[in-house]
Amino acid sequence: MTASTTARRRFLTGMAFISLWMIGFFVFNLYPMAASLYYSFTEYHVKQPLVWIGLQNYLSMVNDDLFWRALYNTIYMVLFSVPLSLLISFICALLLNIKIPGQSIYRVIYYLPSIVPVVASTLLWLWILNPNSGILNTTLAQLGIRGPNWTHDPFWSKPSLIFMGLWGVGNTMVIYLAGLQDIPNTLIEASELDGATWWQRLWRITVPLISPITLFNLIIGVIGTFQYFAQAYVLSADMGSVGSALGAPLNSTLFYSVYLYQQGFVYLKMGYASAQAWVLFVIIMLCTIFLLRSSERWTYYEGG
Amino acid sequence: MRDVQWRCRSWFIAILVGLLITACTPPPPVDAPAAGDSESAAPAAAESATGSDEVLQVWITWGDNPAQIQALFDQYGEANGVTVQVNAPVETDKVIAALAGNDPPDILVTGGPDNVGTWAREDLVTPLDDLISTSGIDLEDIYDAPLSQCAYQGSYFCLPWGTDTYALFWNKDLFEDAGLDPEQPPQTLEELVEMAKQLTIVEDDGTISQIGFVPDFSWSHLDLYTAMMGGWWYNEDGTEITFTSDAVVNALKWEQQFYCNSDYSTDEIQRFKSGFGDYSSPDNGFYNGKIAMMVEGEWQPGPNFIQNYKPELYYGVAPFPYPQADPGRANTSVVSGSVVMIPAGAKNKEASADLLAWMVSPDVVAEEMVANFNLPSSAKAAEDPRFHENDKFEVFLNLMGDPNAVAPIMSPINGEVTTALGQIEEQVLATCADPLPLLEAAQAELQPQLDAALEQ
Repeated sequence: MTASTTARRRFLTGMAFISLWMIGFFVFNLYPMAASLYYSFTEYHVKQPLVWIGLQNYLSMVNDDLFWRALYNTIYMVLFSVPLSLLISFICALLLNIKIPGQSIYRVIYYLPSIVPVVASTLLWLWILNPNSGILNTTLAQLGIRGPNWTHDPFWSKPSLIFMGLWGVGNTMVIYLAGLQDIPNTLIEASELDGATWWQRLWRITVPLISPITLFNLIIGVIGTFQYFAQAYVLSADMGSVGSALGAPLNSTLFYSVYLYQQGFVYLKMGYASAQAWVLFVIIMLCTIFLLRSSERWTYYEGG
Repeated sequence: MRDVQWRCRSWFIAILVGLLITACTPPPPVDAPAAGDSESAAPAAAESATGSDEVLQVWITWGDNPAQIQALFDQYGEANGVTVQVNAPVETDKVIAALAGNDPPDILVTGGPDNVGTWAREDLVTPLDDLISTSGIDLEDIYDAPLSQCAYQGSYFCLPWGTDTYALFWNKDLFEDAGLDPEQPPQTLEELVEMAKQLTIVEDDGTISQIGFVPDFSWSHLDLYTAMMGGWWYNEDGTEITFTSDAVVNALKWEQQFYCNSDYSTDEIQRFKSGFGDYSSPDNGFYNGKIAMMVEGEWQPGPNFIQNYKPELYYGVAPFPYPQADPGRANTSVVSGSVVMIPAGAKNKEASADLLAWMVSPDVVAEEMVANFNLPSSAKAAEDPRFHENDKFEVFLNLMGDPNAVAPIMSPINGEVTTALGQIEEQVLATCADPLPLLEAAQAELQPQLDAALEQ
């Protein structure tokens, strides 16, 4: 048996093992992606032949007020929701990293909301946030504060959604927690011997050492938020006014993916929706490249 | 140790590429989480029917009582030696996916004609003209208004099954409390505004504890108000958008009076509205006496709604008021409801056609609509004494048969048009903005789209 046959056999065995994934990738990811790129240059009809219209779909976006509105809403979420959830999950991770009795119970409690299905948790929050009878405004009322109209007020609807999102930071928190536990005790002990305060330890040891995790969470958060959909969809469904429901109130929760969904699956404008999907792809790609480039300045890889 | 850094990086990149790829695929049609929908109504087992192994699939986008509907279709199955499987309620997303795919149901029933124009445009549903001429379906027997909602560019793409219309409901107890005659509902739109004022209770701190009328309570009724003002948002044949017509503008301005007035702030009414309980519950704003008057449909006096949730409610039903200046519009109502169609991809069109003809026959219409407390779309069915046992239901029957009854005019971009209108309505009510500039802008944007869609 020559070396090359062994190599080939190994290659084929390897391919056989990976083939399931490969087939899935080509059939369910690569092909739909390529097809949607093609559709984005056409006027798509479900049963009729496609009509090539060049860049028309892309140009329509420029003059589509709702498209810009959706983009604005989405960027608002990225700018406010992502940093806030990173901060909150980092703080939670710090707390859950303290060695106290029963810590594992606290960890479970803080992680639990993340396993509640999005639809269920959103409906639950809509109850809590009900301006009239919700537990939040009733509690505020007892303190003499008149709570806002939350999801029914275009100014407060996005903050309400951000607020809901913070309840489910468990996944980010767990990644932070794993990172915190990776920080060598020797560094902490050495700094304690040198008389570092808690704040100095946090700022000069923990934060830099955990910066690669922050980068990861940041990028995942940005990508996820650009695709924000489910909560907004549930919110709209709950607002219930037929026809204008998506994006209610007053298009304040019309996010990019929601608008894309409406164009594609409500109006059956698949070509336009595909073009929007590709623009989103490019936006996310550019953001990601920017974050990765900029991270060279603020991430620290131990031993790097 | 540079390679450690690189290893970390390449992991990031691998994961990111993966995520980006998923980012690009359009979101899947999620299972619509709308309240009340459930997966529990999966195809009801219908193996009871005997005979051949032919199975006909009937999908219905509504259905409070799937078992009753299945039992109805079993009658057809037994008589014809086929199996009919009813799937109700089906979510709209699933319907769209099935229509576009290769395995649609044999019969599709939707709650309204809203999508028929779009689906006809995309060749997703079959024109029914041949079927109507060969199967002996008597179009004369079908009320004009519900029938015309199925006409699209000179062909029928659906046929009405049952149908719905709306009237004014008023709470007689609240009328008495406000010193009004409980047997005298408002006759004109102007009277309604005046009575609503008297029926509204605003507390000292500005909060509302009872309101006379909320024009978009439960959902938008802009269609009824526009019809009452003498028009629609399309011209007669649906080729032109008429957002800026007096009818649409006046309807929106009339609605604004309930949101933008000196008695309470717009913010307060939004707040008050958000406190209403679920539509189908004793906490419904009208059932629990928070709203004195509402616009609602014929199913309300039936066993599934008021009789079920608030049997002691003391209320009346009357035709919706007309504009004082135009008494000729009395008894105007918008008639629209369940329609039956045959998907273009249905495998056995003849079997579908036969089942459809059976469904719209007067006896079957009567049986199903009695069970559901909906209006029969067939005049013969309407003679069934079971429709005449409830005075309140009678109001709706009369409205449907009135010459002033209108059906919604459809277009191939109906979804876009009604969404745009809904957004304008929401905006003018929430911000008290002048409707006209908004309507002008929307019309300018939508008319070219409509022209393009009609040319297809």
